[in-house]
Amino acid sequence: MRPILLQGHERSLTQIKYTKDGDILFSCAKDQIICAWFSANGERLGTYHGHQGALWSIDVDPSTTLLASGAADNTVRLWDVRTGKCIKVWDFNTAVKRVEFNEDGTKLLAVTEKRMGFLGTIVVFDIVPDVDAEQTNERALTITCDESKATVAAWSYLSKYIIAGHEDGSVSQYDAKTGELLDNFQAHEVDMEIKDIQMSPDRTYFITASKDKFAKLLSARDLSPLKQYATETSLNSAALTPKKPFVVLGGGQAAMDVTKTSSRQGKFEARFYHKIFEDEIGRVKGHFGPLNTVAVDPLGRGYASGGEDGYVRVHHFEGAYWGFQYEVEREKGEESADL
Amino acid sequence: MSKLASRPDWADDEEFDDPSALPPQQVTTNKDGTKTVVSYRFNDDGKRVKTTQRIRTTVVKETVNPRVAERRAWPKFGLEKGHPAGPSFDTTSVGENIIFRPSVTWKKDGKEEQTKKDDPKEKLKNMKVKCRICDGEHFTARCPFKDTMAPMGEDGAAGGGAGAGGMNGDDAPEDKAGGLGTGGGGYVPPHLRGGAKAASGGERMGGKYERDDLATLRVTNVSEFAEENDLREIFERFGRVTRVFLAKDRETGRAKGFAFISFADRTDAAKACEKIDGYGYGHLILRVEFAKRAT
Repeated sequence: MRPILLQGHERSLTQIKYTKDGDILFSCAKDQIICAWFSANGERLGTYHGHQGALWSIDVDPSTTLLASGAADNTVRLWDVRTGKCIKVWDFNTAVKRVEFNEDGTKLLAVTEKRMGFLGTIVVFDIVPDVDAEQTNERALTITCDESKATVAAWSYLSKYIIAGHEDGSVSQYDAKTGELLDNFQAHEVDMEIKDIQMSPDRTYFITASKDKFAKLLSARDLSPLKQYATETSLNSAALTPKKPFVVLGGGQAAMDVTKTSSRQGKFEARFYHKIFEDEIGRVKGHFGPLNTVAVDPLGRGYASGGEDGYVRVHHFEGAYWGFQYEVEREKGEESADL
Repeated sequence: MSKLASRPDWADDEEFDDPSALPPQQVTTNKDGTKTVVSYRFNDDGKRVKTTQRIRTTVVKETVNPRVAERRAWPKFGLEKGHPAGPSFDTTSVGENIIFRPSVTWKKDGKEEQTKKDDPKEKLKNMKVKCRICDGEHFTARCPFKDTMAPMGEDGAAGGGAGAGGMNGDDAPEDKAGGLGTGGGGYVPPHLRGGAKAASGGERMGGKYERDDLATLRVTNVSEFAEENDLREIFERFGRVTRVFLAKDRETGRAKGFAFISFADRTDAAKACEKIDGYGYGHLILRVEFAKRAT
């Protein structure tokens, strides 16, 4: 497996996202630009300029026409994916830590930071999935998190719920229409911030990554814990691989502690776990800083990781990955083949 | 051959050697389908540099979704505006090959490798519980080699019926004098020395070579004028030698007649043992055997 190294950013990566077809990879970093890359060969398609602060989050709509980004300059911007033009700016009082489109690209959520006397909120906008259309300024919904601020959020199946991960390690389920808090579950250790939430392809369950060194699989319907993956380092990101039942976890000790340890001890590796058996099945080395974000190709052909070191590494899976099976899986496969 | 033909005659070469002009790029197609590109440029010192590249072009056809194909043809924008198609070298590079082989026993395999690698460091770090038999990180009572191996101290302290032979007499006094610190074995932290004081010095000695006894040879009947470097030279031809310990008399500085040689690999050690046993060195015939006593 020869990774492709993408060096388009001058500062640490904050999020990377594949399009629905897995052909383009978007990356954003603290250096205020967004890059679009062809995932197959690492060719850069273009860059998106306009933000005045560190970018925290990006998302692309399912038709790959619109790109949303949230940044520390207190804005959410909407971009034309094809030309790199900014077509809409929404202003907020505080930094925007997370943006995500819903399943059909008609809604966009934004998580705002709690700062300067403003409480953390989750805001929803209605989006017209057309480049030329006028986008509304009006917020369809505002959820205020008065207990612990939300750090990440995602849409569940059918855009029914908004699932939010909080700074205190809990996960909340909000009704996506009314904004009502339906459930709150202390998924991770108290005061261990949830750094990432990624939905399964059908959005019925999701994986969380937290500073408490665990990644957990939870059901979107009732927040019941399904699986958990224990690691020996704080986690920044977790992703689920389609086609094969694995999870990819990225982490490493916090950026501020990096200078105190050697890269060998830093655990700057992408870890692969088996989704069902919860065993660690392998690691992929490469970054020389903690992994801030991992993303998996929605078609399951590869994955990419973005690190504190400013690099994106795009990996395409090879033979051993596809051939790997547990003994029980293999036996089961043989049995069904015999029938 | 084709390259020769395309080049100007050597006699004309001088005339073309105008420092400001560069020969044009030459592209030749080889028989095996590759192309050889020879290009010239000036480097930073103003010297002419010839670059020869062999390029193999492989066309990989892939059927994709029409949406994907359409996006592939999008013009570039932003910082990439106007750049030609294909990855640019300043943003995209290919990393070194990573072997990623998922396996259930991944953790176990990895751990073994790791402990082997940082052996010396790890040993000193995690010295809290130490087995007297195998030096492992567990209590002696739980040692997996309990039934097959004798405790390490026995060799030195109990006078060892285990083939230590005549050298044992030499061994003990030196150890009591704290020979370990001086004997080229490296620094031993005080807390370890303290623990060994209660037992005989032999235990320390044993511990020293027990650590990598799998690939350690004991050489006896060594000339007293021998030097560690001489021994290293003799044994190095069989493989990587990680440690040479030659016991020396503290007062006279002369060799005491025995030495330990640790190899990185046991097979190398076995080979060396076979070859050097009976080898004449100085005026004596060396006797070589594995440092581990028979079980």
